[in-house]
Amino acid sequence: MKRLIKIDFRKYARNRTFRILGLLYVVLVVFVFLVTESFLNHVISHVGKGSPVTVPDFSLYSFPYVWHNMTFIAGFFKIFLALIVIIFVTNEYSYKTIRQNIMSGMSRVEFLLSKVIFVFFISFAVTLVLFLTALFLGIFHTEHLTVALVLAKIYFVPAYFLEIFAFLLLAMLFAFVLQKQGLAISVFALYYYVLEPVVAFKLPDAIARFLPIKMITHLIDVPNSSLMKLFGVNFRETVSWTDVWGCAAYSLLFIALVYLFLKNRDL
Amino acid sequence: MQKEILEIRNLSKSYGRLKALDNLSLKVERGSVFGILGPNGSGKTTTLGILLDIIKADSGEHFWFGQPPDSVLRKRIGALLEQPLFYPYLTAVDNLKIVADIRGVPYDDIDEVLEMVHLSDRKLYKYSTYSLGMKQRLAIAAAMLGNPEVLILDEPTNGLDPKGIADIRNLILEAAGRGFTIILASHLLDEVEKVCSHVMILEKGKKRYAGPVDEALAGSVIMEVAATDPEKLQLALKKIAAVKSVARQGENFVLTVAEDLHPGLLNKMLAEQGIFLTHLAVRNKSLEKYFLELLSDSQ
Repeated sequence: MKRLIKIDFRKYARNRTFRILGLLYVVLVVFVFLVTESFLNHVISHVGKGSPVTVPDFSLYSFPYVWHNMTFIAGFFKIFLALIVIIFVTNEYSYKTIRQNIMSGMSRVEFLLSKVIFVFFISFAVTLVLFLTALFLGIFHTEHLTVALVLAKIYFVPAYFLEIFAFLLLAMLFAFVLQKQGLAISVFALYYYVLEPVVAFKLPDAIARFLPIKMITHLIDVPNSSLMKLFGVNFRETVSWTDVWGCAAYSLLFIALVYLFLKNRDL
Repeated sequence: MQKEILEIRNLSKSYGRLKALDNLSLKVERGSVFGILGPNGSGKTTTLGILLDIIKADSGEHFWFGQPPDSVLRKRIGALLEQPLFYPYLTAVDNLKIVADIRGVPYDDIDEVLEMVHLSDRKLYKYSTYSLGMKQRLAIAAAMLGNPEVLILDEPTNGLDPKGIADIRNLILEAAGRGFTIILASHLLDEVEKVCSHVMILEKGKKRYAGPVDEALAGSVIMEVAATDPEKLQLALKKIAAVKSVARQGENFVLTVAEDLHPGLLNKMLAEQGIFLTHLAVRNKSLEKYFLELLSDSQ
């Protein structure tokens, strides 16, 4: 295990694409976190000008709601991470280094495992960034800070980890099966933005809910702010176990599919 | 100690309708330098790919060191397959560190193998800045990393200049001297003849010959003849029992003949049929002749 981490880490640590994309992601996400509140308040106070009801300023950053709000917003940027995964898995095919790795004495299972570790590492790193940013935002924006308040909805953080992990494994599956970088990126984007939404639309809700992207996105629902309540909409404020088990099952399924694909194939 | 390092039993592989490998069986003994010869597309790389788990055979099996193959046994085999394959954005040293980590050998060996292929002064340059010859030498260094018991080299002199070719040849002989078993695939006949103790000749995925190089070269004599009417000459040659094979090379015919057929006798037999030779030469048999002779048989 340690050996696989070491091998894979060497492949990315010095890579410029990886460094730039990683840095870009962190900067982008932190920036979006910081400005969302003032942006929303600005928009709302604008809209609220002619409204008969007074629209209250609201804070996205107070505990415990900050966990839900930030994990939801961060969810929009996961396609960016999928791009990194697809680039690095398909690189192994375009450089044919997957051959060199296997020839040198890696088993196919170890190779797959090293990529699952890579996906785990990315998911963990972005979760950590999210956790720290949300923690600081919460501390500075909550009036009566208590530990209980901080921990109240902290389960959104592991849920976010699972969302990213499952999503990136799906991207990894596309990369392993399609092998060509451009092809894998475009087919994955097509599936994410067009194909699954269309299929989901055609299917009855009870079934559509179990489609992979649907399930992964559903893990963290739209946050229920005071604003939403004003409009009378009510979203789910918790994480449902059905979604958690569903995403965990999908994660295993994606890994198993790559394994079956890799097992008997010429490289 | 196990005498056979590799045993192949009835290996077959098809790509669609093309039979790349047809029921191949083979044994390679410890300490031998085993050459695999064959024209382009004869199944050399397919065979080696299967032995390294890059390609999956349709049927048949093989054993490394007397055991069914797995990734742990593969760590005892150093290989260069077709072309060098490395991460372009990493330096030679970093690329070899990856190989060392996969094999589970210490980094100390890296400098030694880089020295062996004369890349020490460029070891901290990125792989993408290397010339074809340097890439090839790095691949050989990677294959030798950690002193594997078996070296598999597929066209190792591809892209090298004459000095590079001579260097690699010496490297192979040196490695063989130290008791490595070497499997060398090549379409360059004199390369194989110069370094190999055993040879297998492949054609269209079928084994045409396998055995010691000496035996391949013994037992018959090569002659070269020409006459003003080549077609008539060819017909006449085919009727002579002592002529084992006829291959046309431009104006000349290259013959393999039984040892008792000396040039004077051949000349006499042809003259009796009204064919007068314009050229007659006896040549030392080389692997090249043997190879052409085998391939012309099948046509």
